[in-house]
Amino acid sequence: MNNREKYNEIFVSIFGVKEEQLDGTFNFNNIESWDSMTHLMLIGELEEIFDIMLETDDILHFGGYQNGMTILKKYGVDFAD
Amino acid sequence: MFLDLDKQKKDALALIDNEDNRITYGELVKLMNAVGEQVEPRSLIFMLCKNTVGSMAGYLGFIEHEAVPVMLNAKIDPDLLQNLLDLYTPAYIWMPVEEEEHFEYEKVFEIYGYVLLKTGNKIYSLNEQLQLCMTTSGSTGSPKLVRYKKGNLELNAKNVAIAFGWTEKERPICDLGMQYTMGLNVINTHLYVGATVLLTTYNLMSGEFWDYIKRERATNFTGVPFSYDIFYRLHFEQMDLPDLQTLSQGGGKLTDDRFIQLAEYAQKTGKRFIPSFGTTETSARMACLPAELACIKTGSIGRAIPGGELFLIDENGNVLTDPVAEGEMCYRGPNVTMGYAICKEDLKKGDEFHGVYRTGDLARRDEDGCYFVTGRLSRFLKLLSYRVSLDQSERLIQQEFNIECACAGTDKRMNIYITDERKKDEVLEFISKKTNLFKNQFKVFVVSEIFRNDSGKIQYKVLDSTYAG
Repeated sequence: MNNREKYNEIFVSIFGVKEEQLDGTFNFNNIESWDSMTHLMLIGELEEIFDIMLETDDILHFGGYQNGMTILKKYGVDFAD
Repeated sequence: MFLDLDKQKKDALALIDNEDNRITYGELVKLMNAVGEQVEPRSLIFMLCKNTVGSMAGYLGFIEHEAVPVMLNAKIDPDLLQNLLDLYTPAYIWMPVEEEEHFEYEKVFEIYGYVLLKTGNKIYSLNEQLQLCMTTSGSTGSPKLVRYKKGNLELNAKNVAIAFGWTEKERPICDLGMQYTMGLNVINTHLYVGATVLLTTYNLMSGEFWDYIKRERATNFTGVPFSYDIFYRLHFEQMDLPDLQTLSQGGGKLTDDRFIQLAEYAQKTGKRFIPSFGTTETSARMACLPAELACIKTGSIGRAIPGGELFLIDENGNVLTDPVAEGEMCYRGPNVTMGYAICKEDLKKGDEFHGVYRTGDLARRDEDGCYFVTGRLSRFLKLLSYRVSLDQSERLIQQEFNIECACAGTDKRMNIYITDERKKDEVLEFISKKTNLFKNQFKVFVVSEIFRNDSGKIQYKVLDSTYAG
Protein backbone atom coordinates (compact mmCIF):
# COMPACT_ATOMS: atom_id res chain seq x y z
CA MET A 1 0.00 0.00 0.00
CA ASN A 2 1.43 3.43 -0.87
CA ASN A 3 1.24 6.43 1.39
CA ARG A 4 -1.77 7.93 -0.36
CA GLU A 5 -3.70 4.69 0.13
CA LYS A 6 -2.70 4.46 3.78
CA TYR A 7 -3.67 8.10 4.29
CA ASN A 8 -7.07 7.57 2.67
CA GLU A 9 -7.74 4.44 4.65
CA ILE A 10 -7.23 6.33 7.93
CA PHE A 11 -9.77 8.98 6.91
CA VAL A 12 -12.28 6.42 5.69
CA SER A 13 -12.15 4.43 8.92
CA ILE A 14 -12.18 7.39 11.32
CA PHE A 15 -14.83 9.55 9.68
CA GLY A 16 -16.88 6.66 8.34
CA VAL A 17 -16.95 8.04 4.79
CA LYS A 18 -16.35 6.71 1.29
CA GLU A 19 -13.00 7.26 -0.37
CA GLU A 20 -14.67 9.26 -3.17
CA GLN A 21 -15.64 11.92 -0.64
CA LEU A 22 -12.03 12.70 0.14
CA ASP A 23 -11.07 15.87 -1.72
CA GLY A 24 -10.23 19.54 -1.19
CA THR A 25 -13.61 20.20 0.41
CA PHE A 26 -13.19 17.52 3.07
CA ASN A 27 -12.38 19.63 6.08
CA PHE A 28 -13.17 20.44 9.67
CA ASN A 29 -15.98 22.86 8.86
CA ASN A 30 -17.85 20.63 6.44
CA ILE A 31 -17.73 17.23 8.06
CA GLU A 32 -20.21 16.60 10.85
CA SER A 33 -18.20 13.79 12.39
CA TRP A 34 -14.98 15.85 12.51
CA ASP A 35 -14.92 16.89 16.16
CA SER A 36 -12.29 16.95 18.87
CA MET A 37 -12.57 13.22 19.42
CA THR A 38 -12.16 12.17 15.79
CA HIS A 39 -9.44 14.78 15.42
CA LEU A 40 -7.55 13.25 18.32
CA MET A 41 -7.94 9.78 16.81
CA LEU A 42 -6.87 11.01 13.39
CA ILE A 43 -3.64 12.48 14.72
CA GLY A 44 -2.94 9.33 16.74
CA GLU A 45 -3.41 7.10 13.70
CA LEU A 46 -1.32 9.28 11.40
CA GLU A 47 1.54 9.32 13.88
CA GLU A 48 1.41 5.59 14.30
CA ILE A 49 1.03 4.61 10.65
CA PHE A 50 3.65 7.05 9.35
CA ASP A 51 5.87 6.79 12.43
CA ILE A 52 6.11 10.54 12.96
CA MET A 53 5.52 12.98 15.81
CA LEU A 54 3.46 16.05 14.93
CA GLU A 55 4.11 19.43 16.52
CA THR A 56 1.33 21.24 18.38
CA ASP A 57 0.78 23.84 15.68
CA ASP A 58 0.48 21.19 13.02
CA ILE A 59 -2.01 19.22 15.12
CA LEU A 60 -4.13 22.32 15.67
CA HIS A 61 -4.07 23.29 12.02
CA PHE A 62 -4.62 19.85 10.61
CA GLY A 63 -7.98 21.07 9.41
CA GLY A 64 -8.59 19.20 6.18
CA TYR A 65 -7.78 16.23 3.99
CA GLN A 66 -5.83 18.26 1.43
CA ASN A 67 -3.90 20.50 3.80
CA GLY A 68 -3.10 17.45 5.91
CA MET A 69 -0.96 16.09 3.11
CA THR A 70 0.96 19.36 2.90
CA ILE A 71 1.64 19.11 6.62
CA LEU A 72 2.74 15.49 6.46
CA LYS A 73 5.18 16.27 3.66
CA LYS A 74 7.11 18.42 6.14
CA TYR A 75 7.66 15.25 8.14
CA GLY A 76 8.99 13.42 5.13
CA VAL A 77 5.83 11.56 4.16
CA ASP A 78 5.92 11.36 0.38
CA PHE A 79 2.63 11.30 -1.50
CA ALA A 80 4.05 11.09 -5.03
CA ASP A 81 2.77 7.90 -6.64
CA MET B 1 -32.52 37.95 41.64
CA PHE B 2 -31.24 34.60 40.37
CA LEU B 3 -27.54 34.22 41.33
CA ASP B 4 -27.67 37.78 42.75
CA LEU B 5 -26.70 39.06 39.32
CA ASP B 6 -28.11 42.51 40.04
CA LYS B 7 -25.74 42.88 43.00
CA GLN B 8 -22.61 42.76 40.81
CA LYS B 9 -20.87 45.86 39.47
CA LYS B 10 -22.97 47.02 36.53
CA ASP B 11 -20.04 47.84 34.29
CA ALA B 12 -18.04 44.67 35.03
CA LEU B 13 -17.92 42.18 32.17
CA ALA B 14 -20.11 39.13 32.80
CA LEU B 15 -20.00 37.19 29.54
CA ILE B 16 -17.69 37.04 26.57
CA ASP B 17 -18.31 34.59 23.74
CA ASN B 18 -16.52 33.68 20.54
CA GLU B 19 -19.20 35.41 18.48
CA ASP B 20 -17.58 38.72 19.52
CA ASN B 21 -20.12 39.56 22.20
CA ARG B 22 -19.02 41.26 25.43
CA ILE B 23 -21.79 41.76 27.97
CA THR B 24 -21.59 43.58 31.30
CA TYR B 25 -23.58 42.55 34.37
CA GLY B 26 -25.80 45.59 33.87
CA GLU B 27 -26.54 44.59 30.28
CA LEU B 28 -27.04 40.97 31.26
CA VAL B 29 -29.77 41.87 33.72
CA LYS B 30 -31.56 43.86 31.01
CA LEU B 31 -31.15 41.02 28.52
CA MET B 32 -32.57 38.52 31.00
CA ASN B 33 -35.64 40.64 31.50
CA ALA B 34 -36.09 41.20 27.78
CA VAL B 35 -36.10 37.44 27.14
CA GLY B 36 -37.91 36.46 30.32
CA GLU B 37 -40.85 38.80 29.65
CA GLN B 38 -41.63 36.90 26.47
CA VAL B 39 -42.70 33.74 28.26
CA GLU B 40 -45.40 32.87 30.72
CA PRO B 41 -44.29 31.99 34.25
CA ARG B 42 -44.42 28.26 35.02
CA SER B 43 -44.24 27.29 31.38
CA LEU B 44 -41.86 24.56 30.22
CA ILE B 45 -39.21 25.67 27.72
CA PHE B 46 -36.84 23.48 25.72
CA MET B 47 -33.43 25.12 25.47
CA LEU B 48 -31.18 23.98 22.64
CA CYS B 49 -27.97 25.09 24.29
CA LYS B 50 -24.72 26.44 22.90
CA ASN B 51 -22.10 28.26 24.93
CA THR B 52 -22.99 31.72 23.66
CA VAL B 53 -24.49 34.91 25.07
CA GLY B 54 -27.82 34.23 23.34
CA SER B 55 -28.18 30.81 24.93
CA MET B 56 -27.22 32.19 28.36
CA ALA B 57 -29.68 35.10 28.13
CA GLY B 58 -32.48 32.58 27.65
CA TYR B 59 -31.43 30.30 30.49
CA LEU B 60 -31.05 33.12 33.00
CA GLY B 61 -34.10 35.06 31.80
CA PHE B 62 -36.44 32.08 31.90
CA ILE B 63 -35.40 31.10 35.41
CA GLU B 64 -35.67 34.69 36.63
CA HIS B 65 -39.21 34.83 35.23
CA GLU B 66 -40.23 31.56 36.88
CA ALA B 67 -40.36 29.52 33.69
CA VAL B 68 -38.68 26.08 33.66
CA PRO B 69 -35.95 25.40 31.09
CA VAL B 70 -35.11 21.87 29.96
CA MET B 71 -31.43 21.95 29.02
CA LEU B 72 -30.60 20.11 25.79
CA ASN B 73 -27.65 20.15 23.46
CA ALA B 74 -28.19 22.21 20.31
CA LYS B 75 -26.64 19.25 18.48
CA ILE B 76 -29.22 16.82 19.86
CA ASP B 77 -30.20 13.88 17.68
CA PRO B 78 -33.42 14.93 15.84
CA ASP B 79 -35.22 11.68 16.74
CA LEU B 80 -34.47 12.13 20.42
CA LEU B 81 -35.60 15.75 20.30
CA GLN B 82 -38.87 14.73 18.65
CA ASN B 83 -39.37 12.06 21.27
CA LEU B 84 -38.81 14.62 24.04
CA LEU B 85 -41.13 17.14 22.36
CA ASP B 86 -43.89 14.53 22.18
CA LEU B 87 -43.36 13.46 25.77
CA TYR B 88 -43.05 16.81 27.52
CA THR B 89 -44.97 19.16 25.14
CA PRO B 90 -43.06 22.36 26.03
CA ALA B 91 -44.79 25.70 25.41
CA TYR B 92 -41.65 27.24 23.90
CA ILE B 93 -38.29 26.35 22.37
CA TRP B 94 -35.24 28.63 22.65
CA MET B 95 -32.81 27.75 19.89
CA PRO B 96 -29.97 29.00 17.71
CA VAL B 97 -31.32 30.95 14.76
CA GLU B 98 -29.71 28.48 12.33
CA GLU B 99 -31.88 25.62 13.66
CA GLU B 100 -35.13 27.52 13.15
CA GLU B 101 -35.72 26.25 9.61
CA HIS B 102 -36.28 22.72 10.96
CA PHE B 103 -39.41 23.82 12.82
CA GLU B 104 -42.69 25.30 11.79
CA TYR B 105 -43.62 26.97 15.03
CA GLU B 106 -44.37 30.67 15.39
CA LYS B 107 -41.34 32.87 16.05
CA VAL B 108 -42.01 35.37 18.84
CA PHE B 109 -38.62 36.86 19.71
CA GLU B 110 -35.02 36.98 18.56
CA ILE B 111 -31.85 38.19 20.26
CA TYR B 112 -28.10 37.46 19.99
CA GLY B 113 -28.47 34.66 17.46
CA TYR B 114 -31.24 32.91 19.39
CA VAL B 115 -34.94 32.68 18.63
CA LEU B 116 -37.96 31.91 20.78
CA LEU B 117 -40.54 29.70 19.10
CA LYS B 118 -44.01 29.22 20.50
CA THR B 119 -45.20 25.66 19.99
CA GLY B 120 -48.90 26.23 20.69
CA ASN B 121 -48.82 23.43 23.25
CA LYS B 122 -51.03 24.06 26.23
CA ILE B 123 -49.23 25.12 29.41
CA TYR B 124 -49.74 22.55 32.14
CA SER B 125 -49.09 22.71 35.84
CA LEU B 126 -45.61 22.01 37.19
CA ASN B 127 -44.48 21.46 40.75
CA GLU B 128 -44.02 24.89 42.28
CA GLN B 129 -40.48 24.10 43.43
CA LEU B 130 -39.33 22.96 39.98
CA GLN B 131 -36.71 25.30 38.50
CA LEU B 132 -34.93 23.42 35.70
CA CYS B 133 -34.56 19.99 34.08
CA MET B 134 -31.50 18.26 32.72
CA THR B 135 -30.99 14.99 30.92
CA THR B 136 -29.14 12.39 32.96
CA SER B 137 -25.72 13.32 31.53
CA GLY B 138 -26.04 10.15 29.53
CA SER B 139 -26.33 9.90 25.82
CA THR B 140 -28.25 6.68 25.33
CA GLY B 141 -31.10 8.76 24.02
CA SER B 142 -32.95 8.41 27.28
CA PRO B 143 -35.86 10.83 27.70
CA LYS B 144 -35.28 10.70 31.46
CA LEU B 145 -34.85 14.09 33.11
CA VAL B 146 -33.48 15.18 36.47
CA ARG B 147 -35.72 17.66 38.27
CA TYR B 148 -33.91 20.61 39.89
CA LYS B 149 -35.66 22.52 42.64
CA LYS B 150 -35.31 26.19 43.49
CA GLY B 151 -32.09 26.76 45.41
CA ASN B 152 -30.13 23.81 43.93
CA LEU B 153 -28.22 25.79 41.34
CA GLU B 154 -27.62 28.85 43.47
CA LEU B 155 -26.47 27.00 46.56
CA ASN B 156 -24.14 24.79 44.57
CA ALA B 157 -22.75 27.88 42.83
CA LYS B 158 -22.15 29.53 46.19
CA ASN B 159 -20.60 26.51 47.92
CA VAL B 160 -18.38 25.56 45.00
CA ALA B 161 -17.20 29.18 44.72
CA ILE B 162 -16.14 29.00 48.37
CA ALA B 163 -14.42 25.64 47.94
CA PHE B 164 -12.43 26.88 44.94
CA GLY B 165 -11.83 30.35 46.37
CA TRP B 166 -13.15 32.09 43.26
CA THR B 167 -13.27 35.88 43.13
CA GLU B 168 -14.46 38.46 40.59
CA LYS B 169 -10.96 38.40 39.09
CA GLU B 170 -11.44 34.94 37.57
CA ARG B 171 -11.88 34.46 33.83
CA PRO B 172 -12.92 30.81 33.37
CA ILE B 173 -12.77 29.35 29.89
CA CYS B 174 -16.01 27.41 29.51
CA ASP B 175 -16.02 24.84 26.76
CA LEU B 176 -18.06 22.19 28.60
CA GLY B 177 -21.61 22.64 27.35
CA MET B 178 -24.08 24.52 29.56
CA GLN B 179 -26.57 21.68 29.02
CA TYR B 180 -24.16 19.49 30.95
CA THR B 181 -24.34 19.78 34.73
CA MET B 182 -20.62 20.38 35.21
CA GLY B 183 -20.54 22.94 32.41
CA LEU B 184 -23.48 24.84 33.86
CA ASN B 185 -21.96 24.73 37.33
CA VAL B 186 -18.71 26.31 36.16
CA ILE B 187 -20.69 29.16 34.59
CA ASN B 188 -23.04 29.68 37.56
CA THR B 189 -20.22 29.55 40.08
CA HIS B 190 -18.35 32.33 38.37
CA LEU B 191 -21.36 34.54 37.70
CA TYR B 192 -22.19 34.25 41.38
CA VAL B 193 -18.87 35.90 42.31
CA GLY B 194 -19.05 38.53 39.58
CA ALA B 195 -16.27 37.06 37.44
CA THR B 196 -16.01 37.26 33.63
CA VAL B 197 -17.13 34.04 31.98
CA LEU B 198 -15.42 33.18 28.69
CA LEU B 199 -17.93 31.10 26.77
CA THR B 200 -16.71 29.13 23.82
CA THR B 201 -18.00 26.80 21.14
CA TYR B 202 -14.49 26.21 19.82
CA ASN B 203 -13.16 22.73 19.82
CA LEU B 204 -10.20 22.00 22.10
CA MET B 205 -8.36 20.62 19.09
CA SER B 206 -8.55 23.87 17.14
CA GLY B 207 -6.09 26.73 16.96
CA GLU B 208 -8.98 29.11 17.63
CA PHE B 209 -9.53 27.66 21.10
CA TRP B 210 -5.94 28.26 22.16
CA ASP B 211 -5.87 31.72 20.57
CA TYR B 212 -9.02 32.52 22.54
CA ILE B 213 -7.54 31.30 25.86
CA LYS B 214 -4.45 33.43 25.33
CA ARG B 215 -6.20 36.50 23.91
CA GLU B 216 -8.80 36.62 26.68
CA ARG B 217 -6.30 35.67 29.38
CA ALA B 218 -8.30 32.79 30.83
CA THR B 219 -7.46 32.09 34.47
CA ASN B 220 -9.04 28.68 34.95
CA PHE B 221 -10.25 25.67 33.01
CA THR B 222 -12.50 22.77 33.96
CA GLY B 223 -12.22 19.64 31.87
CA VAL B 224 -13.36 16.05 31.72
CA PRO B 225 -10.69 13.33 31.42
CA PHE B 226 -10.89 13.47 27.63
CA SER B 227 -10.11 17.22 27.71
CA TYR B 228 -6.83 16.44 29.42
CA ASP B 229 -6.04 13.71 26.91
CA ILE B 230 -6.22 16.44 24.31
CA PHE B 231 -4.18 18.87 26.42
CA TYR B 232 -1.36 16.39 26.66
CA ARG B 233 -1.63 15.45 23.01
CA LEU B 234 -1.03 19.12 22.26
CA HIS B 235 1.95 19.28 24.65
CA PHE B 236 0.11 21.92 26.66
CA GLU B 237 2.71 21.61 29.42
CA GLN B 238 5.15 23.31 27.06
CA MET B 239 2.80 26.17 26.23
CA ASP B 240 3.23 29.59 27.73
CA LEU B 241 -0.01 30.15 29.67
CA PRO B 242 0.93 32.56 32.46
CA ASP B 243 -2.66 33.65 33.21
CA LEU B 244 -4.05 30.14 33.53
CA GLN B 245 -3.81 29.47 37.26
CA THR B 246 -6.25 26.67 38.03
CA LEU B 247 -7.01 23.41 36.27
CA SER B 248 -10.04 21.54 37.51
CA GLN B 249 -11.46 18.21 36.52
CA GLY B 250 -14.75 16.38 36.79
CA GLY B 251 -16.96 14.06 34.76
CA GLY B 252 -15.32 10.68 35.31
CA LYS B 253 -12.09 9.35 36.63
CA LEU B 254 -8.67 10.31 35.35
CA THR B 255 -6.14 7.52 35.06
CA ASP B 256 -3.62 7.61 37.91
CA ASP B 257 -0.87 8.49 35.45
CA ARG B 258 -2.74 11.51 34.15
CA PHE B 259 -3.67 12.57 37.67
CA ILE B 260 -0.02 12.52 38.75
CA GLN B 261 1.04 14.29 35.58
CA LEU B 262 -1.41 17.14 36.23
CA ALA B 263 -0.59 17.36 39.93
CA GLU B 264 3.14 17.55 39.18
CA TYR B 265 2.66 20.06 36.38
CA ALA B 266 0.68 22.29 38.74
CA GLN B 267 3.26 22.00 41.49
CA LYS B 268 6.15 22.78 39.18
CA THR B 269 4.47 25.80 37.59
CA GLY B 270 2.89 27.21 40.75
CA LYS B 271 -0.64 26.56 39.49
CA ARG B 272 -3.48 24.67 41.16
CA PHE B 273 -4.89 21.30 40.12
CA ILE B 274 -8.29 20.63 41.70
CA PRO B 275 -10.05 17.35 40.87
CA SER B 276 -13.75 17.33 41.72
CA PHE B 277 -16.72 15.03 41.69
CA GLY B 278 -20.35 15.58 40.88
CA THR B 279 -23.47 14.23 39.24
CA THR B 280 -26.48 15.64 37.46
CA GLU B 281 -28.61 14.57 40.44
CA THR B 282 -26.62 16.83 42.77
CA SER B 283 -26.59 19.96 40.56
CA ALA B 284 -22.98 19.12 39.75
CA ARG B 285 -20.34 19.24 42.44
CA MET B 286 -20.38 17.27 45.69
CA ALA B 287 -16.66 17.13 46.44
CA CYS B 288 -13.29 18.48 45.49
CA LEU B 289 -9.70 17.78 46.47
CA PRO B 290 -7.83 20.77 47.90
CA ALA B 291 -5.01 21.72 45.54
CA GLU B 292 -2.34 21.23 48.22
CA LEU B 293 -3.30 17.53 48.48
CA ALA B 294 -3.15 16.80 44.73
CA CYS B 295 0.42 15.51 44.91
CA ILE B 296 -0.19 13.11 47.79
CA LYS B 297 -3.73 11.83 47.18
CA THR B 298 -3.57 10.38 43.70
CA GLY B 299 -7.00 9.54 42.35
CA SER B 300 -8.90 11.15 45.22
CA ILE B 301 -12.01 13.30 44.82
CA GLY B 302 -11.27 14.89 48.20
CA ARG B 303 -13.92 15.93 50.67
CA ALA B 304 -17.46 17.31 50.51
CA ILE B 305 -17.87 20.94 49.48
CA PRO B 306 -19.04 23.42 52.15
CA GLY B 307 -22.69 22.87 53.07
CA GLY B 308 -22.57 19.24 51.99
CA GLU B 309 -21.69 15.92 53.57
CA LEU B 310 -20.33 12.71 52.08
CA PHE B 311 -20.88 9.38 53.81
CA LEU B 312 -20.64 5.67 53.10
CA ILE B 313 -23.24 2.95 53.59
CA ASP B 314 -23.02 -0.83 53.53
CA GLU B 315 -25.21 -3.15 51.45
CA ASN B 316 -27.93 -3.01 54.10
CA GLY B 317 -28.03 0.76 54.01
CA ASN B 318 -26.26 1.26 57.36
CA VAL B 319 -23.94 4.24 57.66
CA LEU B 320 -20.29 3.20 58.07
CA THR B 321 -18.94 5.06 61.06
CA ASP B 322 -15.30 3.94 61.02
CA PRO B 323 -13.04 6.76 59.78
CA VAL B 324 -11.43 4.44 57.23
CA ALA B 325 -14.09 2.50 55.33
CA GLU B 326 -15.39 1.41 51.96
CA GLY B 327 -19.00 1.33 50.80
CA GLU B 328 -21.55 3.04 48.61
CA MET B 329 -20.95 6.77 48.54
CA CYS B 330 -23.87 8.99 49.50
CA TYR B 331 -24.23 12.74 49.67
CA ARG B 332 -26.40 15.07 51.70
CA GLY B 333 -26.66 18.75 50.82
CA PRO B 334 -28.74 21.63 49.51
CA ASN B 335 -27.75 20.85 45.91
CA VAL B 336 -29.45 17.44 45.87
CA THR B 337 -32.22 17.65 43.28
CA MET B 338 -35.83 16.43 43.62
CA GLY B 339 -35.77 13.25 41.57
CA TYR B 340 -36.40 12.07 38.03
CA ALA B 341 -39.07 12.49 35.41
CA ILE B 342 -39.86 10.08 32.62
CA CYS B 343 -43.08 11.77 31.49
CA LYS B 344 -44.71 15.16 31.86
CA GLU B 345 -46.93 14.05 34.74
CA ASP B 346 -43.73 13.53 36.75
CA LEU B 347 -43.03 17.26 36.56
CA LYS B 348 -45.81 17.75 39.10
CA LYS B 349 -44.07 15.52 41.63
CA GLY B 350 -42.48 16.91 44.78
CA ASP B 351 -39.09 16.19 46.32
CA GLU B 352 -38.35 12.45 46.27
CA PHE B 353 -34.66 12.60 47.22
CA HIS B 354 -35.24 14.65 50.39
CA GLY B 355 -31.74 16.08 50.30
CA VAL B 356 -29.89 12.75 50.14
CA TYR B 357 -28.48 11.11 47.03
CA ARG B 358 -27.08 7.60 46.73
CA THR B 359 -24.47 7.82 44.00
CA GLY B 360 -24.30 4.15 43.07
CA ASP B 361 -20.51 4.52 43.24
CA LEU B 362 -18.33 2.49 45.55
CA ALA B 363 -15.81 4.59 47.41
CA ARG B 364 -13.08 4.31 50.01
CA ARG B 365 -12.46 6.90 52.72
CA ASP B 366 -8.94 7.30 54.05
CA GLU B 367 -7.60 8.41 57.42
CA ASP B 368 -7.68 12.06 56.35
CA GLY B 369 -11.33 11.88 55.35
CA CYS B 370 -10.54 11.95 51.63
CA TYR B 371 -12.70 9.86 49.32
CA PHE B 372 -11.58 7.65 46.43
CA VAL B 373 -14.11 6.26 43.96
CA THR B 374 -13.26 2.61 43.45
CA GLY B 375 -16.08 1.21 41.33
CA ARG B 376 -19.74 1.28 40.54
CA LEU B 377 -22.71 -0.62 41.89
CA SER B 378 -25.01 -0.14 38.97
CA ARG B 379 -24.67 -1.15 35.37
CA PHE B 380 -23.34 2.05 33.84
CA LEU B 381 -20.25 2.80 31.86
CA LYS B 382 -18.61 6.17 31.49
CA LEU B 383 -17.51 6.31 27.89
CA LEU B 384 -15.55 9.50 27.24
CA SER B 385 -17.23 10.97 30.31
CA TYR B 386 -20.73 10.22 29.06
CA ARG B 387 -22.73 7.98 31.29
CA VAL B 388 -24.15 5.19 29.20
CA SER B 389 -26.60 2.71 30.65
CA LEU B 390 -25.79 -0.87 29.75
CA ASP B 391 -29.33 -2.05 30.40
CA GLN B 392 -30.78 0.64 28.21
CA SER B 393 -28.29 -0.02 25.41
CA GLU B 394 -29.29 -3.66 25.59
CA ARG B 395 -32.98 -2.82 25.36
CA LEU B 396 -32.46 -0.43 22.44
CA ILE B 397 -30.60 -3.07 20.43
CA GLN B 398 -33.11 -5.80 21.27
CA GLN B 399 -36.01 -3.61 20.22
CA GLU B 400 -34.42 -2.36 17.03
CA PHE B 401 -33.21 -5.72 15.71
CA ASN B 402 -35.34 -8.18 17.62
CA ILE B 403 -32.26 -10.19 18.56
CA GLU B 404 -30.66 -11.52 21.71
CA CYS B 405 -28.12 -9.11 23.10
CA ALA B 406 -25.99 -8.45 26.20
CA CYS B 407 -23.96 -5.30 26.91
CA ALA B 408 -20.99 -5.26 29.27
CA GLY B 409 -17.43 -3.92 29.27
CA THR B 410 -15.43 -1.19 30.98
CA ASP B 411 -15.18 2.60 30.85
CA LYS B 412 -12.73 2.14 28.01
CA ARG B 413 -15.12 0.24 25.73
CA MET B 414 -18.57 -1.29 25.73
CA ASN B 415 -18.67 -4.95 24.73
CA ILE B 416 -21.83 -5.95 22.92
CA TYR B 417 -22.63 -9.64 22.62
CA ILE B 418 -25.06 -10.86 19.97
CA THR B 419 -25.75 -14.26 18.46
CA ASP B 420 -26.89 -13.16 15.01
CA GLU B 421 -23.82 -12.65 12.86
CA ARG B 422 -25.71 -10.86 10.07
CA LYS B 423 -26.50 -7.94 12.34
CA LYS B 424 -22.94 -7.27 13.51
CA ASP B 425 -22.23 -4.13 11.47
CA GLU B 426 -25.72 -2.74 11.80
CA VAL B 427 -25.65 -3.05 15.59
CA LEU B 428 -22.39 -1.14 15.75
CA GLU B 429 -23.71 1.57 13.44
CA PHE B 430 -26.94 1.79 15.43
CA ILE B 431 -25.50 2.03 18.94
CA SER B 432 -22.90 4.56 17.81
CA LYS B 433 -25.66 6.73 16.36
CA LYS B 434 -27.97 6.37 19.35
CA THR B 435 -25.31 7.28 21.87
CA ASN B 436 -23.62 9.86 19.68
CA LEU B 437 -20.32 8.20 20.49
CA PHE B 438 -17.74 7.07 18.03
CA LYS B 439 -17.64 3.43 16.93
CA ASN B 440 -14.33 2.71 18.58
CA GLN B 441 -16.09 3.02 21.95
CA PHE B 442 -17.87 -0.26 21.19
CA LYS B 443 -16.99 -3.74 20.12
CA VAL B 444 -19.55 -6.23 18.89
CA PHE B 445 -18.87 -9.90 19.55
CA VAL B 446 -20.82 -12.61 17.75
CA VAL B 447 -21.12 -15.51 20.18
CA SER B 448 -22.81 -18.89 19.97
CA GLU B 449 -24.54 -18.43 23.27
CA ILE B 450 -25.19 -15.62 25.74
CA PHE B 451 -24.27 -17.21 29.06
CA ARG B 452 -26.95 -17.20 31.73
CA ASN B 453 -27.03 -18.64 35.22
CA ASP B 454 -29.69 -21.05 36.46
CA SER B 455 -32.15 -18.29 37.20
CA GLY B 456 -31.76 -16.89 33.70
CA LYS B 457 -29.61 -13.87 34.61
CA ILE B 458 -27.03 -12.91 32.02
CA GLN B 459 -23.49 -13.59 33.26
CA TYR B 460 -21.79 -10.43 32.10
CA LYS B 461 -18.49 -11.08 33.83
CA VAL B 462 -18.21 -14.52 32.26
CA LEU B 463 -18.93 -13.08 28.83
CA ASP B 464 -16.28 -10.39 29.22
CA SER B 465 -13.63 -12.76 30.56
CA THR B 466 -14.36 -15.38 27.90
CA TYR B 467 -14.47 -13.14 24.85
CA ALA B 468 -13.00 -9.76 25.70
CA GLY B 469 -10.40 -10.66 28.31
